[in-house]
Amino acid sequence: MRLSRRTLLAAGLTAPLAACSTPQRRGAGGPVEITFWSALRGSQQVVDAFNSSQNRIRVIFQQIPSGGQGGYAKLSNAARAGNAPDVATIEYPQVPGYAIDGVARDITDLVTDRLKQKLLPQALKLTTFDNRVFSVPLDIEPMVLHYRADMFEANGFQPPKTWDEFTDLARRVKAKFGNKKLVLFPTDGAMQFACWAWQAGAQWFDTGNGKWQVSLADAPTRKVAAYWQSLIDEDLVYRNASDSKQHDAQLGQDLILTRLSGAWDAGAQMRARPGQKGKWRIAPMPIWDEPVVGTHGGSTFAVTKDSRQPEAAMEFIEWQTTDPAALTARLKSGTSSQYPVAPGLVAAGAKAFPGEYYGGQDVYRLFQQEADKIRDGWVWGPRMTATQKVMQDGFAKAGAGEGTLVDAVREAQSGTMPDLKALGLSTEEVER
Amino acid sequence: MKGKLACAVLMAPFFVLLVTVFLIPTGTAIWLSFFAQDQPGLGFGPESTVFVGLRSYAAVLSDPTFRGGLLTVVLYCLIYIPIMVVAALALALLLDSGVAKLRGWAQMGLYLPHAVPGIIAALIWLYLYTPGLSPIIDLFAKGDIHLNFLGIHTVLPSIVNIALWSNLGYNMVIFYAALQAVPREVLEASVVDGAGPVKQAVRIKAPLVKGAIVTVGIFTLIWALQLFTEPVLLSQSTPMISARFSPSMYIYDAAFTRNNYGLAAAASVILLAFTIALSYGVTRWTNRKAA
Repeated sequence: MRLSRRTLLAAGLTAPLAACSTPQRRGAGGPVEITFWSALRGSQQVVDAFNSSQNRIRVIFQQIPSGGQGGYAKLSNAARAGNAPDVATIEYPQVPGYAIDGVARDITDLVTDRLKQKLLPQALKLTTFDNRVFSVPLDIEPMVLHYRADMFEANGFQPPKTWDEFTDLARRVKAKFGNKKLVLFPTDGAMQFACWAWQAGAQWFDTGNGKWQVSLADAPTRKVAAYWQSLIDEDLVYRNASDSKQHDAQLGQDLILTRLSGAWDAGAQMRARPGQKGKWRIAPMPIWDEPVVGTHGGSTFAVTKDSRQPEAAMEFIEWQTTDPAALTARLKSGTSSQYPVAPGLVAAGAKAFPGEYYGGQDVYRLFQQEADKIRDGWVWGPRMTATQKVMQDGFAKAGAGEGTLVDAVREAQSGTMPDLKALGLSTEEVER
Repeated sequence: MKGKLACAVLMAPFFVLLVTVFLIPTGTAIWLSFFAQDQPGLGFGPESTVFVGLRSYAAVLSDPTFRGGLLTVVLYCLIYIPIMVVAALALALLLDSGVAKLRGWAQMGLYLPHAVPGIIAALIWLYLYTPGLSPIIDLFAKGDIHLNFLGIHTVLPSIVNIALWSNLGYNMVIFYAALQAVPREVLEASVVDGAGPVKQAVRIKAPLVKGAIVTVGIFTLIWALQLFTEPVLLSQSTPMISARFSPSMYIYDAAFTRNNYGLAAAASVILLAFTIALSYGVTRWTNRKAA
């Protein structure tokens, strides 16, 4: 605990020196070894494919828990001790935080034009701050509506196109079945909520004029909060954690008809509930009036400050994010449905994705069409994990009938500002 | 001369530990709270250590989540301390009165939970409180009584319950020991004056062990302000306990989730100052009443 960021800086300074003084391991005849940490499913298969595709770089992979389950604590602690892996997996919301803390290295000069041209610019923008690139995005995940086609068909329901239709459908579901609901309001779902706000045109953070401008409770966010609050007040939605046994039971016992989550969740669903094969289909998420969406989930790869082989690390990252063999290896594992940031890989993805679970639906074409609708200009904040937690504390209370969703968003902002100020960042709260 | 040397040798371990595990960390925390590694603007540039004065303190005090945590432990103290002191004293008086049979067994039975480490105690109660695991909740559910120990309004009483279970026996032993020192002739005199057992306990014995009551009160207060283990464990089963539920949890979260050491250090110093001020206030208050 007493190791400060100064120690980190010191470690960062000594690492390149050490790299100079020791002979490159490549010179010894063997391949360069780099370490890679990820919680992403199918990573082992990807690493194996990379290692057998060439013999200059050998990647040593370690599967770690997902961020919230301890993965981020592990990465922060390793960086504090000066032994972070060469390549770390960081989700979009956490990129600015790790960049500010100096864990994710500034890789602007290592990102080649060739790589840049292969990636979706909207995604790369989310990992670029102050004109400097801090990580390379792997997948971009538009939110989609996963729905139970069997139950929809049996009751003559249509996938709702707008949020108004979504409310109507929720009412019909409640009227028809007392014990079933259309959807869950996830009390641990600040990231889902962020996606809805993103879609509605919110701008929680902005870095214009060299300052972190914070407006979590801006007008579009208030609209979204009021919308979900009315669904809660009318008792049209479940309100519990999405990462819980309770939600597993709701899905497993056919008590819920839809899920709103990123494209990646199609693969997670296949893995979690193989018995529901053929029952689910995927549709675009409902919209307000403009045909735009937000993202939910998605990961990026950073080269850490402790890496002694940043070039080799970048080569591996470039391969992982842009080579069709990488995506094919991941999807063949049968547990992933990631939508690649490199548009050139979509065809390979569509081919490798086992489509039987979704009754042969061409889900990748849908993902592609939705990815094109992602609203431009979203920026994540410097301490998203903490912001998210405070917001979810409020969601849990609102779910239990104490306070509202708008209160939760406001509390998240007032609980975030002291953090940013204590970090010495230029920051201001703006009313929008 | 020899006596002085022996004294120094015997005292040395205490002072070594005091310096290494209390004074140095406290000093470091105070130092850390006044400095920060700042980067200008958005924070993506090179960082440099600068003196920031009271900036971290201002940030902590302006943080509603910290003030909320402080309010939570104050509420916790207001529920916990009176119940603890009254219940422990009542049990001690009961044992002392000779009404209770099997005194030795009763004392041991009450003291035993204190021998269970706090974290194990919290785990046991976590099991009893968690729906789907708890046999108690299941039992009541059969009688159509639905208990929720981890709800928005029940979670604090549930934590108080764990603390009572753990510490009641210990404090009772302190009171019981103090009661043994009450002069027998005073008690005999009260009997002669016509005091029954209840009157004797409330009017004679209790005032005579006031010193022990104040000591227990202050120790309990200091312990309660550092509330950490129980809520951290219970937070796994309920979203009603946030990551910043108590000041100690706020400090932990600031250091290890938010990687914000200046903030964590300032919050630690504030908690320390708050604890010292409250203990001092309680001592002064009780002394004045005695005078």
